Amino acid sequence: MFDDNDSAREDDGVRGTDGDGDDNGDSDGVPEHWKRTREMTDGGQPADESRSGILTEDTEAELDRGPFQQWVADSISNPERVYRSMFYTATIFFLFTTLFPFYWLLMVALTPEGQQQDIILTPNGFNPGAFIEVFQVLPFHWYMFNSFVIATASTILVLVIGSLAGYAFGRLEFPGKTPLMLLVLIISFFPPAAFFIPLNDLFNTSFFLLEPITGDGTLYNTPGAMVLPLSAIFMPLAIFILTTFYAQIPDGLEDAARVEGTTRLGALFRVIIPLSAPGVATAGVLTFIAVYNEFFFSFLMTDGQPENWAPILEGILGYQGQYEVMYHLMAASSIIGVIPVAILVIVAQEKIVSGLTAGALKE
Amino acid sequence: MARVRLEHVTKRYEDVTAVDDISMEIEDGEFVTFVGPSGCGKSTTMETVAGLTRPTEGEVYIGDDNVTTLAPKDRGVAMVFQNIALFPHMDVFENISFGLRLRKYDDEEIQRRVEQAADIVQLEGMLDRMPDEMSGGQRQRVAIARAIVRNPDVFLMDEPLANLDAKLRVHMRTELQRLHRELDTTIIYVTHDQAEAMTMSDRIAVLNAGELQQIAPPLTCYNEPANRFVAGFIGSPSMNFAEGELVEDGVRTKNFHVDLDPGNVPGMTVGDAVTLGVRPEDVHLTTAADTVAQPTDPIDARSDVIEPMGDEMFVYLLLAEGAERSMEEDPSSSADQLLMSVTPDTPIEEGQNVDVVLDRSKIHLFETATGQALLHGITNLSGRDSGTTPTEADS
Repeated sequence: MFDDNDSAREDDGVRGTDGDGDDNGDSDGVPEHWKRTREMTDGGQPADESRSGILTEDTEAELDRGPFQQWVADSISNPERVYRSMFYTATIFFLFTTLFPFYWLLMVALTPEGQQQDIILTPNGFNPGAFIEVFQVLPFHWYMFNSFVIATASTILVLVIGSLAGYAFGRLEFPGKTPLMLLVLIISFFPPAAFFIPLNDLFNTSFFLLEPITGDGTLYNTPGAMVLPLSAIFMPLAIFILTTFYAQIPDGLEDAARVEGTTRLGALFRVIIPLSAPGVATAGVLTFIAVYNEFFFSFLMTDGQPENWAPILEGILGYQGQYEVMYHLMAASSIIGVIPVAILVIVAQEKIVSGLTAGALKE
Repeated sequence: MARVRLEHVTKRYEDVTAVDDISMEIEDGEFVTFVGPSGCGKSTTMETVAGLTRPTEGEVYIGDDNVTTLAPKDRGVAMVFQNIALFPHMDVFENISFGLRLRKYDDEEIQRRVEQAADIVQLEGMLDRMPDEMSGGQRQRVAIARAIVRNPDVFLMDEPLANLDAKLRVHMRTELQRLHRELDTTIIYVTHDQAEAMTMSDRIAVLNAGELQQIAPPLTCYNEPANRFVAGFIGSPSMNFAEGELVEDGVRTKNFHVDLDPGNVPGMTVGDAVTLGVRPEDVHLTTAADTVAQPTDPIDARSDVIEPMGDEMFVYLLLAEGAERSMEEDPSSSADQLLMSVTPDTPIEEGQNVDVVLDRSKIHLFETATGQALLHGITNLSGRDSGTTPTEADS
C-alpha cells in the first residue's frame, strides 16, 4: 500500500520534472482518468530513482507495471490477441478431451495381457498382435457386419420415411399440422426403456406371416428387432431436420419439376432431396452413429450370438469372461469398431460442405 | 397446340376468393396476356391451367379434354416461372432435358431436341454450364428452352421478365414475340406490366380482385375499356376521371361542363351520377386545338407541375380557383386536377393560366355506381351519332 502511494507520488514527480519542452509528458495519448487509474492501482514494482530516470527519457508509463497488468493493457489495446489465445485454449481443451480417450485406449490395446495395472501415458510393453487376436478369439468381423447392416438399414428406413414426413410437414398445408409435429417431437422425448418390455413381449410373439423369413415367426434374434425400434426412436429428430431443410426449397422449383413431368413424389426425390443434401447427410449421419452406438436394444434384443445378428457391442463384451477380462482385446476391438464411423463422418462431412457451397439458391 | 377454355373457374382459399368465376376461351396459337394489379388472381388463374392449383369450382379444358383433375405432367403444358426456377444442381443440358429424360426419350432424340431448343433461344455452347455461372438473361433463356423442348400444347409464362433489368426486359420482350411467331404455340402470359401486355399480346385479359374485367385486343382495351378499372389500369399515365352528373344539356362535373344529349347515354336518365374519363393525350391547349375535330368548350385551368419526359411533356392542371395540388390523391381521380400530355416544345410554364379543351371523340363515360362504360366518344351534339356504346364495341 505504502509502496503504491510512494510510486504514485514518484510518478507525479516524474511528470513534474518533465519540463524540458518535448512532448512526452502531456501528449502520451493517455486520457486523464486513465492517469488517475494508473496512480491508484499501479501495483507493479516500485519505481525507484533509476527507473524514474529512464522514464523521463521514454515516458513509457506502461513499463512501470507488473507483467500481468502489462498483459491486461495489451489485451485492451489489441483484443484480437486475446480472442486468438482463447480460441487456441478452447481448441486444445476440446481436442484433448476428445482424443485422449482414444490415445489411452490405444495404450491399453498395445499393452500385453496381464500388465494392465498402471498404464499412464505409455503402454507397458508393445503388443500390436492384439488387433489380430481380436478376430481370432471371437468372430468380431461378424459382429461388425451385423452392426453395419442394422445401422444402414435403420438409416435408410429413417431417411425414406423421414423424407416423406419432412415433405408433408415442410411443404404442405393441412389441418392439425402443428399438433402432429409436436406429437412426433414429444414421442422422441420418451425414454426408450419405457418401450422395451412391450416391444420385447411383441417381438417374442410368433407371427404366422413372419415364419417364412424368421423360422419361428418371432423377431427376437433378427435385425428387425433392432431396426424397427431404433428407427422409430431416431425418426423424430430426422423428421425435424428434414422438415427444416425441405421447407426452404423454393416452391417454384417443385412446381417446375411437376410441370416438367414428375409427380409430387418424383419432385421430392429428383429435386428437393438433392438440393437438401446437407440436411439429408446430417440426418443420415446422426441416425447411423446413434444406431451403431446404441446399447439398450442392441444388448437385449438378441442372445449375443453373431449368427443371431448380435451387434458390435456384444462382440466387445464377449472378451469379458467369467474368470478373466481381456481389457487389451476390448480396447483393440473398440478402436476397430470406431473406424467405419470415422470414415463415414469424414466422407459425409465432405458431402455436407460441398452441398452447402454448391447449392447456392439465389431465389 | 390447343385451345384453352376456362369455364366458371373459381378458387377459394379459406376466406379469400382468389379467382371468382372466370370464363374465357383462348384460341389455338393465340398469345393472351393476363394483366392486373398484384393479388388480382392472375397467377392463380394460370396455375389452374397448369394444374398446380385445383379450382374450387369450374372446369379447365385444353383442346377438347377436360383437364381439371389431371396432374400437371399429363396436361401437355410447359411453364416459365417468375423466379426462373432452374434446378441449381443440374447443368444447362440436364435442365433442358429434364422433361424429356422423365418421358424416356432415347439419347439421340434428347440430344437433337436440346440442341434445337438451345439454338432457338441462342444458347449454343453453354450446355455444360451450371445455372449459377450464368447471367439473368441467360438463365431466362434456359428456362424458355426447357419449356419449348417438349413441344407443349400450351406455353405458360408467369411474369418471366419480372426479375430482369429494364434493358434486358425490352430485349427479351422482342425475343418472346419472335419465339411466338416461330413456334406458333398457344401462349398464356401473366404480367403486371402493361407495357409487356400491350406490346406482345393478341388479346389482353384484364383481371381485378379475382374477376375478369375485359378480354380484348390491346387497342380495344385502350380505346374502348369495358369499365373504369380497365380504363384506369391500361395506359400510362393513367386516364383522368371526373365524377359528375347527367344534366339536361350534357354532363356537369365539379369544374366543367360537356355538352351532350342525355338521351344518347344508354340506360341513364337526367340526374344519374356518371364519371367522365379522358386520357392525358386527349386534353389539348385551346391554342393548339385546331387539330381536334370536335373540341369541348374551353376549360379554365392553371398549370401546376410540368414533367418533361423528352418525347412528351406532362402538365398537371389545377381546375378550381385556389385549388392546391393534392398530395394524397392520385391526380387522375381528383376532381380538381387534370393531367395533360403535350408535345415537349409547347410554350408553357408552371403557374400559367391556360384554357384547355377535351377531344370529344375520345371522352369516355362510365356509370359512377358500377363503373361500367356507357359511351366511348361523344361525337355529336344532337346525339344522332354519339360514338360507340360498349354493346356495339363487343359485337
